[in-house]
Amino acid sequence: MMRWKSRFIANALAAWMLTLAAAPVGAADTPRPLTFVNDIVPILTKTDCNSGGCHAKAGTGQRGFKLSLLGFEPQEDYEHIVKEGKGRRVFPPAPEQSLLVLKAASIVPHGGGKKVDPKSENYQTLVRWIREGMVYGSDKDARLIAIDVEPKRLSMRVKTTQQLKVTAKYSDGSSRDVTHMALYEPNDKSMAEAGEEGLVRTLDIPGNVAIMVRYSGLVSVFSVSIPLGAPVDHLPAAKNFVDQFVFANLKQIGVPPSPVCDDSTFLRRVSLDIAGRLPTLEETRAFFASPDPDKRDKAIESLLSSPDYADYFANKWTALLKNKRDEAADITANFAFHAWMRDSLLANTSYDQIVRQILAATGTIVANPAVAWYKRVKEPNQQLEDVAQLFLGVRMQCAQCHHHPFERWSQHDYYSLSAFFSQVGRKPTAIAGEDLIFHKRGVAQTENKKTRLPVKPAALGQPTLDIPPDEDPRLQLAGWMSSKSNPFFAKALVNRYWKHFFKRGLIEPEDDIRDSNPATNPELLDALAKHFADNNFDLKSVVRVITQSRTYQLSAMPNEHNAVDRQNFSHYYPRRMQAEVLLDAIDQVTGAKSDYADLPPGTRAISLPDNSYNRASPFLKVFGRPEGASVCECERVQSSSLAQSLHLMNAADVKAKLAASNGRAESLARAEMPEPKRIRDLYLAAFSREPDAEEIRIGETFVVKPRTDAKGKPLDTQRAKRQGYEDLLWAIINTKEFLYNH
Amino acid sequence: MLKVMSSRFLCLLAFLAAPVMAQQVTLPLPRLLTVMPMGGQVGTTVEVAITGESLEDVTALQFSSSKITAKPVLDPAGKPVDNKFSVTIAPDAPAGVHDARVVSRLGISSARAFTVGKLAEVVRTKPNNSVETALALAPNSVCNATMTKRAVDFYSFLGAKGKRVAVDCAAVGIDSRLTPVLILADAQGRDLKVNRTGGVIDFTPPADGTYLIKVNDLTFQGGDRHFYRLALQEVNGSAPAPRQAQTQTVSAMSWPPAGLTPSAAASETEPNDKAAQAQKITLPCDIGGSFFPAADVDTYEFTAKKGETWWVEVASERLGLNTDPFVLVQRVTKTGEKETLTDLAELYDIAGPMKVSTNGYSYDGPPYDAGSPDVNGKFEIKEDGTYRLQVRDLFGGTRNEPGNVYRLIVRQAAPDFSLASWAVHMTLRNGDRASLSKPLALRAGSSVAFEVAVIRRDGFDGEIDLSMEGLPAGVSAAGLKIAKGKSYGHMIISAASDAKNASGIARMMGKATINNATVVRPCPVASMEWPVRDAKGEIPAPRLMADVPVSVTDSEPAPITITTAEDKVWEAKAGETLKIPLKIAWRNEFTGTSIKVKAYGDGFTTLKEFDIPIKAATHEAVLDLAALKTPPGDYTMAFYSLGISKYRYNPAAVPLAEAAQKKAEQEVAAMAASAKKLTADAANAPAEKKADADSAAKSAAEKQKQAEATMAEAGKRMKAVTDAASPKDTVDIIVSTPVRISVKAAQVAAADSAPKK
Repeated sequence: MMRWKSRFIANALAAWMLTLAAAPVGAADTPRPLTFVNDIVPILTKTDCNSGGCHAKAGTGQRGFKLSLLGFEPQEDYEHIVKEGKGRRVFPPAPEQSLLVLKAASIVPHGGGKKVDPKSENYQTLVRWIREGMVYGSDKDARLIAIDVEPKRLSMRVKTTQQLKVTAKYSDGSSRDVTHMALYEPNDKSMAEAGEEGLVRTLDIPGNVAIMVRYSGLVSVFSVSIPLGAPVDHLPAAKNFVDQFVFANLKQIGVPPSPVCDDSTFLRRVSLDIAGRLPTLEETRAFFASPDPDKRDKAIESLLSSPDYADYFANKWTALLKNKRDEAADITANFAFHAWMRDSLLANTSYDQIVRQILAATGTIVANPAVAWYKRVKEPNQQLEDVAQLFLGVRMQCAQCHHHPFERWSQHDYYSLSAFFSQVGRKPTAIAGEDLIFHKRGVAQTENKKTRLPVKPAALGQPTLDIPPDEDPRLQLAGWMSSKSNPFFAKALVNRYWKHFFKRGLIEPEDDIRDSNPATNPELLDALAKHFADNNFDLKSVVRVITQSRTYQLSAMPNEHNAVDRQNFSHYYPRRMQAEVLLDAIDQVTGAKSDYADLPPGTRAISLPDNSYNRASPFLKVFGRPEGASVCECERVQSSSLAQSLHLMNAADVKAKLAASNGRAESLARAEMPEPKRIRDLYLAAFSREPDAEEIRIGETFVVKPRTDAKGKPLDTQRAKRQGYEDLLWAIINTKEFLYNH
Repeated sequence: MLKVMSSRFLCLLAFLAAPVMAQQVTLPLPRLLTVMPMGGQVGTTVEVAITGESLEDVTALQFSSSKITAKPVLDPAGKPVDNKFSVTIAPDAPAGVHDARVVSRLGISSARAFTVGKLAEVVRTKPNNSVETALALAPNSVCNATMTKRAVDFYSFLGAKGKRVAVDCAAVGIDSRLTPVLILADAQGRDLKVNRTGGVIDFTPPADGTYLIKVNDLTFQGGDRHFYRLALQEVNGSAPAPRQAQTQTVSAMSWPPAGLTPSAAASETEPNDKAAQAQKITLPCDIGGSFFPAADVDTYEFTAKKGETWWVEVASERLGLNTDPFVLVQRVTKTGEKETLTDLAELYDIAGPMKVSTNGYSYDGPPYDAGSPDVNGKFEIKEDGTYRLQVRDLFGGTRNEPGNVYRLIVRQAAPDFSLASWAVHMTLRNGDRASLSKPLALRAGSSVAFEVAVIRRDGFDGEIDLSMEGLPAGVSAAGLKIAKGKSYGHMIISAASDAKNASGIARMMGKATINNATVVRPCPVASMEWPVRDAKGEIPAPRLMADVPVSVTDSEPAPITITTAEDKVWEAKAGETLKIPLKIAWRNEFTGTSIKVKAYGDGFTTLKEFDIPIKAATHEAVLDLAALKTPPGDYTMAFYSLGISKYRYNPAAVPLAEAAQKKAEQEVAAMAASAKKLTADAANAPAEKKADADSAAKSAAEKQKQAEATMAEAGKRMKAVTDAASPKDTVDIIVSTPVRISVKAAQVAAADSAPKK
């Protein structure tokens, strides 16, 4: 226990014990002595003392006083508070004069300000605990085993409140109301707020929101369904289970869906989402002309079987898998890896196989391009973190240094996962910076950096494995991941793909799946995951079931009720085209061609193998093409900016495309057909729809008007018309209708 | 050898190199770079065009097989056309990859792969970079082509529903720099199947129709060096898709062991992944197996007796496959039903005889690796009992390739050795290592050094004498033996200063005494496929050559010749100081004040570096046998150094070009005069002769134009040969002629140090 060294302190202690014996108050009310673990740590957490920004700042703490993050290491915290600095932070003879209390109450200057009010219960508890001799607690003490939040689930109207009650349950059967000590955090702050004392207030957006409740390392969730309460009379006929779950939810919360979109919107939308490109004129015309009732499904099949699908999704995956060019010599590895991913998608290799080939890759990059992932992601810790986040939707980063604050993952879980990568052998190859990868025979284990003890492999939430030294542990990890009962693997993928098609994941962020961050439509997520697993992890089956659904095909135009909806998919949420898709779309509409280093002329932006092209293309940079530095989709910038608008309006590369020789403006100006037909072609190419009479009239009037050159000299008809079409094209590519997938 | 060059030596190089950044590394050597087409069908004659560097006066195209012969193509006037040959492939020429090379002014060139096969051959002559321009390929044919940079080559063929075809692109295995990507697409060019790992596309058309084959480089590189042979073959039944032949990697030097039967005596039987499924075998054994499917483990079980030693050899990578075999031997003991496994041996790679260049900042070894990821090791039985042996591919965890086969041999010790040799390479500035192909094309008076590396088998550690046979007149060779237990020696090949032009096919070999019998093994020579001038930017690709052509030229002499003053065996007693007078012929102007000299050859590698002043006609080399601790015995050694000299490339061409230029000028003058006259005549000609005169004037003007073009050509050529012949600082390795030394036992120590061989 405590090491009292000086006589003064010993005397003071004796005096304090007398005081304690004499004190009638408290002892009678609360016979239970306060313990550090059960009573003090919750205060430190509630008051933010042990948050990452304060005394739990990694490595240093704050001004010499260091606490573990959110109190996950109470033993260490106790040492720091009671013993460090010769016990200078506590002064039992006069507890109110303890530095801990004086600082917390900001009686002496405190960088963190006033954390407890001298009149508060927390203040009293701190003082009493010090007075009682700063008991740490013992094994015999009641342990916190669960927290209960009441109510657990509730339907709340918009702009209403609900007080939560949080009860801590202990191993001795006792329980305490810890409502005022718990922490509350909504997973969507635009839908609900939670006060410090557990008062939840809904805002004006209907849907599902969860309030995460934390107390002393345990997490519970209060789920709120916020109905709009509008009548839902007309639902499109459900095409598949996606619609059943989405429509059931809409019905429940009273948000009527928009109608199913028209053919032109559908074709443009699905082509952009599956193939990353606009439909061609021929495709659009054929689609309009077809009387086939299944033509939408057939269009989906045609897109799925095209190399464009493989190109577009390879672009998505290779950025997440960090196919990044740091040196000129990386070109071979990057081209090989990108092509391998693209070929796997083209061959519709099942997702579990693709992941297995990356995870357990061996050999050289040219012979087995999946090995390139190990060139980019070299350290076992980075490997496990990337694998967990990308393929399992679990963010393990926190657990490297401390228990995950919102999750059940501990450091032990972290290193158990890391142990799967402990037998990755490397040998240098003739290519500088490139190792070949092999399975190094030996017992898979890694050291827990905290305990310094060896840890054997264990998958998340699974028992420890004794893997024979001959077996590559990574194969076991891959095997566990792709088993149909895996709770993360299929879910993470379908949620990621859902977001690809709907702008928003069923869980947000899409790679942060945890109990405390529930899906907005959990039944739908489960059903999608089951569908994916039942179809042997066929990626196209996920795309198919999503894009065939009426939900995906709903109009983006809101009705009188559902404009406010942001997460129930009652209408399609329009998205700005991604950088590469937009650049290709502009090329396609203007008839220009972008040119990329080392690639054949005609290569499209969605087929670019790595991030190196962002440097040469201001367009890709401005529109947020990712650099392949992170496994997070958030690296792709999808927000809008002034720079983007200015670029589209004025940038030299865009201007050059408008005026491309043999481009659309030139060929339309030359075409032997009446003006309205030319304008129709232009609209079909850009918007996949016919212009209306007014649009034709405006377009025609604009195109045929006489023009002058920069010096005011009249242009001849042909040149004037060409310029007219260039200007019309410019206007079109600057419309929201063009820039957005809607 | 260079590896042991002192840092001082390297510093000197850096110093010498610094002020002359543009210096040339290694004297020019004749190199054959491209041959188009790169092969031909048996029983046909094909016209072949060649390109290369440092090639002039090319008189012959030769092949490593006598069944392939070539004659220069003649123009209508019966004059040989530059760089074109008519190659005749005999009907009984062996199918496979052969070496082609040319004989030129500087001698015999480096080799280029030339494939002989049974399929019809075509050469692509027009660009085919789009669906519309796809070149139609007949079934069972090969197309020879060169890749265009940043482009895709398109081919088309008619596929019949259900009729299987194999599309195979040979590139890496035939000396090309292309990393081929093969894509099979539908008639519109929509991709159906892809192979980017140098493999083959095995395709059964789902419907009758036109299909496309697209070929490109992995990173869309192109140019002359990126040639390929695309084969389209019909395949019957379920036979493996046929592949085109390829050259051998350096690692293949140790396979097969002498006397091995072409195929294994037994084969693995699946399932044998698990201990309970172990395939029972008896030792010795010779088993063929495959690493298939992914993560395959082949387990064999046998009994063995205490005291036995077994040697294990696995070949897979050396068969040309991208595999990394691993063998684990375990002892099985049982207590009741419980089985305990105790590791006996883990056998990994065959270690290379010399540390291979790490391609890093500075030179730290030759860019050749005679080692292999294959296995060659042993295990010793300590107890009678049951044992298990597992074979697995450390690259095989996720790879499903039935073609990844192996051959496993477990045998009692059969001591033996395998050799391979390559020219000594050098470095100059840090990080700027040249890995040049070095054909054995000697200049009169030059000596070159080759490293000869050995892979020893089954415990053989005796010394190996090295020699060469079949050298052309004027050329001699001396092996600096591989000493007992050592992993390499040297071969010094020298051309006499008065040697005349000559060439021939030589053989290199090693001789050793194993179990009281004399064993002779061939020593194939490895070379770089391409002269790589900066191995940091370009990965050197070495391979084994089919044979060992050697030539000597009298077209130009070596810049320097170092020989002993007398051609004799130099004798001394152990511990004495041996003084060897050297004669040095300096033919070019050397930079600096001296050259730093060291020694090759067992017994002398630790010789302290000494200087020979530039231009010194003689020098006395002092060998302190006490310091060298050279034990009594017979030795051959050689001195080596590095020097920078002013080198003029083919100065003899300058007066010839000058004469040609002069002649062309005179021709132009004559033609101009003639044309002027005829034009004037035409102007004055009477009407009836006007037409003829006009015609004559026109014809003269034409001739004048032609003569002017010839003159421009001659001028260009004059400039080119003058530039080439202007002196260039050129650094090269200098090697002396071999020195034979006999170290006798010192009398005093005779009692306790019996002469050792």
